[in-house]
Amino acid sequence: MSKVATNPENLLARLKQAQDRLGYLPEECLAEVARSLNMPLSEVYGVATFYSFLSTRPLGRNVIRVCKSLPCYLKNSRMIVESIEDKLGIRPGGTTPDGRFSLALVNCIGACDIAPAMLINHDVHGDLTPRKISRILQSYE
Amino acid sequence: MPEKRIVLKNCGVIDPKNIATYLAADGLKAWQKARQMAPEKVIEEVKAAGLRGRGGAGFPCGLKWELARKSPGDEKYVICNADEGEIGTFKDRYILENDPFTLIEGIAIAAYAVGAKQAFIYLRAEYHHLLDLLTSAVSQSHEQGLEVNIEIREGAGAYVCGEESALMESIEGGRGEARYKPPFPPNRGLWQKPTIINNVETLMNIPRIILNGAGWFSQTGTEKSKGTKVFSVSGDVARPGVYELILGSPLRELVIDLAGAEKVKMVQIGGATGRIVPYTMIDTPLSFETILGAGSIIVYDESRDTIDIVYRTLEFLAEESCGKCSPCREGTEAMAEILARFDRGEGREKDIKVLEELARAMSISALCGLGQAAPTPVTDSLQYFREDYAKRIKQGGKVRC
Amino acid sequence: MDEIRVTIDGKQLSGHPGMTILELARENGIDIPTLCYRPELSLLGACRICVVEVEGSRTLVGSCHTPITPGMVIHTHSPKVLETRKVIVELLLASHCGACFMCDKANICELRQVAAELEVGLPRFEIKKRYYPIEDVSPYIERNLSKCVLCRRCVRACRQIAKRDLFAVAYRGFDAKVVVDSDRALDKEACRDCDICISFCPTGALSKPRKLSEEKKGKPLVITS
Repeated sequence: MSKVATNPENLLARLKQAQDRLGYLPEECLAEVARSLNMPLSEVYGVATFYSFLSTRPLGRNVIRVCKSLPCYLKNSRMIVESIEDKLGIRPGGTTPDGRFSLALVNCIGACDIAPAMLINHDVHGDLTPRKISRILQSYE
Repeated sequence: MPEKRIVLKNCGVIDPKNIATYLAADGLKAWQKARQMAPEKVIEEVKAAGLRGRGGAGFPCGLKWELARKSPGDEKYVICNADEGEIGTFKDRYILENDPFTLIEGIAIAAYAVGAKQAFIYLRAEYHHLLDLLTSAVSQSHEQGLEVNIEIREGAGAYVCGEESALMESIEGGRGEARYKPPFPPNRGLWQKPTIINNVETLMNIPRIILNGAGWFSQTGTEKSKGTKVFSVSGDVARPGVYELILGSPLRELVIDLAGAEKVKMVQIGGATGRIVPYTMIDTPLSFETILGAGSIIVYDESRDTIDIVYRTLEFLAEESCGKCSPCREGTEAMAEILARFDRGEGREKDIKVLEELARAMSISALCGLGQAAPTPVTDSLQYFREDYAKRIKQGGKVRC
Repeated sequence: MDEIRVTIDGKQLSGHPGMTILELARENGIDIPTLCYRPELSLLGACRICVVEVEGSRTLVGSCHTPITPGMVIHTHSPKVLETRKVIVELLLASHCGACFMCDKANICELRQVAAELEVGLPRFEIKKRYYPIEDVSPYIERNLSKCVLCRRCVRACRQIAKRDLFAVAYRGFDAKVVVDSDRALDKEACRDCDICISFCPTGALSKPRKLSEEKKGKPLVITS
C-alpha cells in the first residue's frame, strides 16, 4: 500500500501515519505535511481537527477510549469511567502526569454485544467491571 | 420462523485466516460463475433477485450497479462501506471477523459487473483491530487471481463518514463532509468517477445470489424485501448478539424469542437516526415496507427513561454532525440543548412545539441523511411517549425567558 | 441539446441543460433567497436557505445546486418552503452573537435582510452562542467570528478569486469554524491590498479595521448647545 502515501489526495493517510508515529499531531508536523502536499496549513488543520482519532494535543502513550453511547450507557459505562478516574486520578480529556494514559469518552465503538466496552489503543475490552479495570490497566506500560 | 443463515452461512464454520477452508465451502465459485456471464447478465441477476441495500436506505442494488455500468468512463470504483457507526451496530464487525472472504468475493463480482479495476474497503478506525485479518484475507484472495485491486482505507473516527458522499470525501483524504446530490455516486462519485458504494452485508449477499440464482434468493422475504437481514441486538436483553432473520419476521421474534428481552418498554430500530417504537408495536414485521434501518436493535426495558434516551441520542448526533449545512449543525445542537432541559426537569410547554417545528424543517432541508433523519427519535418519542415529556415540564419556579 | 421545460410557481419556463433551478428562477424574476451561494464561486449547498419544493421529491431540494430536469414542477414559496426557511434563519440567528444595532454592517447584512424578508423576529431557540474574540491584529482585515454563519464564502473567495487560499474550515458540528493556519488570529501580509473576502462576507464577520483617528481627521468637533 505504498502508493497511498504518495498520492496527493491522501492528506488523511499522511496525518494518520504521523499520529501513529508521534502519538499526536504537533504544529510543526502539520506544517511539514502542508508543505510536502503543497496545501495551505489551514486545510491540513481542518482535516486534523475533524476526526476524533486524530489529536492536535499531546496524548499519553496509551489512549483509553470508553464508549459512552447508549448500549454501553445502559450497562453502566459511567461506573467504568469512575473506576478509571479513581485509579488514574484523571478526568476524561486528561493525561496522567507520567504520560502513561489518556482518557476519553467516545461514541459507539461497535462492541455493544460486550457492553460496557472500551478501546485501549486499538485493543477492545468488553464486559467490563470495575474489578477488571486494574488488571487491564496493568498490562499497558 | 427461526434464524436463517444465508449471509452468515460461513460464520463460525470456516477459518477466517485461511482461504483454503473458504474454498472448501464453495468459496469463489460464484466469482468463477460470474466471469462466465456477461457483466450485464450479472447485473440482471442481482436486479431480478430484488436485493436492496442493507445500509439503511434500501436502494435497489442492481439498479445502482446498472447506473454505474452505463455511466461513461473507463475508470470506475467499487467501495465497500465498512464504516458502521450507527449506535448499537456491530453486525459488520461480526461478518468481517468471521467471513471476510465472502465479502471480498462480493466485491470482486461487483467490480466485474460495473467494470471497475479498483475497489476500496473503508474500515472504521474503531475496527483497526480487524485490519490484519482483513489485509491477510485480501492478499490471500488476490493470490486466487482476482482482477480487481482491493485496497483497505481506514477512517479516523467520524460517524458521518458512513454517509456515502462523506465517505468518498474521506477516502479522497479530506474532511468527511456530505456533498450535495445530484450528482449521485454511480454518475460522479470518488474523484468524480462513476462509483458504487455498498454496505458490507449487501455485498455478502452477492455470491449467494450468483451461485444459487435470483429465483432462489427472491423466494424468501416479502414482496419488496427479499432475502434476510442481519441484526445487532443490544441493550436490555439476555442474549445480545448478531442474528439473521428472513425479512418480514416480526420484531417480537428477534427481541423476545431470540434475544430474550423481558418487560420491554421500547425498541430503537436503526440506531441514533432510527425509529423508536413502543412495546405495543412488538409484532411489527421488520422489512423495508415497515421499519428496518441498518440492523441496529437497542432494547429498553420498563426501568428506562425516554427523555434520557432521546437526549443522549441527540447529543450523539450533535457531536457527529459534520457541521457543513446549517439545519443539521445548528438544529441538532438546538434539539440537544432543549432535551437537556427536559432531562433536568426544566422543560417548558412551548419547547415541545419548537422541537416539532425544528424536526419538520431539518427532516426536509438538511444536506444529507444524517441531518434529515436526526429528528426521528424526537418525533417518534413525542408521538409514543409524549406523557414522558409532560412529566419533565417545569412546574412553577422561575421561568427563564 | 434541446431546452428543458419546467414549471416554477405555476409558470411554464424553459432553460438549457445544466441550468440550476435558482438560475432559471432568477432569470425569470422569481426571487429565491440565498446565503452561501454566489455565482462567482463554486457551489456548496450548505446554508439550505434556497430550498424549494419539487413535486415528487421526499425532501426539499437546494435550488442553487439542483439542475432542472424535464417536467419538474417547482414551488419556491409554498408554505412548507417558507416555514423551513424561517426555521433555518432562526437557527442561524440563535447562535449568532451581537445585536444588529451595534453592528457596522447592519445596513448591508444579508442575514438580516433574509430574516426581514421572511419576517423572522427574535429566535425562539436558546442555544449557546458561538463567541470568539475579535481578531484585530491584521492592519488589513478584522475578523469577528461571533458573527460568522459558516457560509464559507470567504474560504472560496480567497481560494478561487484572490488565489491566496488562507482560510479553511476546521473542527466539526456546532464547533465548526473558519480558521487561518492552525487556528491563529488572521495576520497575513498576503491580505495587503486585498479585501475580496470582506466583499463576499454576508454578515459583519469580516470588515476593514476602523481607524478612529482617520475617521475623525479634518472633521471639526461641533458641540451644539
